[in-house]
Amino acid sequence: MINIITALPCEARALIDHYRLQGNRHHNAFRCYQNDELQLIISGVGKIAAATATTFLAASEPQRSSGWLNLGIAGHANTPIGEPLLAHKIIDAATEQSVYPGIILSPPCHTAPLTTVDIPEQHYRENTMVDMEASGFYAAASRFQSCELIHSLKIISDNQTHSTDHITEKTVAALIADNLNTIDAIITALQPLAVQLESNKQPPAELYNFMERWRFTAYQQNELRLLLRRWHALALDTPPDPHDFTDCKNGKAILIAIKDHLDAQPISFEQANH
Amino acid sequence: MYQVIYIEEAIADHPRTLSICERFPKATIVYCKHYGEIFNRKGQNFRLQKQKPALILANKYKNLVLDAPDGYGIGGHRNYYFSHMLNCPYDCRYCFLQGMYRSANYIIFVNYEDFQQSIIDTANQHPDETLWFFSGYDCDSLAYEPVTEFTKAFLPTFRQLPNAHLELRTKSVQIRTLLKSEPIDNCVVAYSFTPEVISQALEHGVPSVEKRIDAMVKLQQHGWKLGLRFDPMVYQEGFEQLYQQLFEQLFSRLSTDSIHSVSLGTLRTPKAFHQNMANLYPEEKLFAGRFEENRGMITYQKELEEQMTRFCYDQLMQYIPQSLFFACTPTEKL
Repeated sequence: MINIITALPCEARALIDHYRLQGNRHHNAFRCYQNDELQLIISGVGKIAAATATTFLAASEPQRSSGWLNLGIAGHANTPIGEPLLAHKIIDAATEQSVYPGIILSPPCHTAPLTTVDIPEQHYRENTMVDMEASGFYAAASRFQSCELIHSLKIISDNQTHSTDHITEKTVAALIADNLNTIDAIITALQPLAVQLESNKQPPAELYNFMERWRFTAYQQNELRLLLRRWHALALDTPPDPHDFTDCKNGKAILIAIKDHLDAQPISFEQANH
Repeated sequence: MYQVIYIEEAIADHPRTLSICERFPKATIVYCKHYGEIFNRKGQNFRLQKQKPALILANKYKNLVLDAPDGYGIGGHRNYYFSHMLNCPYDCRYCFLQGMYRSANYIIFVNYEDFQQSIIDTANQHPDETLWFFSGYDCDSLAYEPVTEFTKAFLPTFRQLPNAHLELRTKSVQIRTLLKSEPIDNCVVAYSFTPEVISQALEHGVPSVEKRIDAMVKLQQHGWKLGLRFDPMVYQEGFEQLYQQLFEQLFSRLSTDSIHSVSLGTLRTPKAFHQNMANLYPEEKLFAGRFEENRGMITYQKELEEQMTRFCYDQLMQYIPQSLFFACTPTEKL
């Protein structure tokens, strides 16, 4: 799953159309849209709004390992209008704190620093994009996800020769629509990373079969999870099956029986090489 | 090669920073105040980063030379280590670095001169003792030589310090600088090995056993002293035959005259690091073995450890005199 946070409805419009996102009526604090692979939330303007919306989305599916993309417009002193830039450093202007998204995907566009300000500024800062959400978004998203899966992509909407006076809902929607290929490339790159993290976090599927049949304390559940993980790592011919342990009377006996079974298995790395 | 190079603002104009950056003209330069902002932060994934690590250029201010951990010695009175680099281009599944660090990015500390001064100061404090300095604890000493020019910079320092010995510990075949340099008596180039079948499964990106032996032969011919490190020894069914073959392969091409030292160590990892590593690679067979906890370390079961150590020790004694042997684990049973 990839979660997208935009500040404005006009920033979201092209994405809703392109990805055929459906409105989620269960969420009434924010306007949310989704399909099977993407969720989009419209946060409103400002870093607190962005952080709140990000947290809202994360809390709605706490077990899921998702990619996070903050998408919107930004100003930059001398970058042409319509150019997409991925943030490689996000600076919160108020606190002067910097964070660094982990860029392991191959960016389909150039990267640049991004400064988040609390109120719109009259003058452009040097060598940085300027927005009003990214630092709040990143601070919230980084509570839930690894930095390699949290990114801010901004489309330049204004610069020293083309002021914010020219920005309208229509032009913003067009800027986003014109960059759908870049946006899509980032989403496509984030998806396998999210899947990889998700699969690492998932407990072995058989865990619940064992837990249905025997009672385990919280400590024993963790032991069971580790033993089943070990079972899979050994790549044994048969998967763990509760029916093979029907003689065991309780959770403790199950743990001992599985451990004994695993300890008796030979370890060979020769198969691992094929 | 690098998409991003992070550079501490304080060393942005350091000559070594500039020369390293010249090698990667397409990389985006991102300035930071301190490398810890990137390397030590919470919420990063070592396994994901290992797919495309970034380079961080930084300055090391203190603790440039540190006491080596127990079991790291090869006969010296005092053992130290220093790390001009953190992390390694190789991806060995047993490596404790992946459990110790949150980040897989590479750090190069560019202030070599401060490391060198610290080594000189340490050597001068103990003029009548033999000191060993290990450079391959937090990284591979040679693997990144074309970028770091580490040996090129540090060999002259040791050349002038007769009581200070340097161990370059490596799995790399980047030996061009060594072959261009006059060997020095107080430097050992120590190669780490596991049997080929284990290496292929667990030492990702590492040159084959054969290629490493080729590199050792060249170094031997050039007059460098060599070390052999079987640390960690990795267990698999029939390990006896695999290690026997490995020793045969090595000693059929290496002369014992050029061997300075041979050491053995069993797989041992601090518990917290082991858990981190197993969580990063839950599907990894290495972590599915029979382990036990022993004084905060995760090790193979004692009986297995002793069996492996005894076997490999006995085998090695067929090739080398006892005086060249050093155990990285307790030796009372040998």
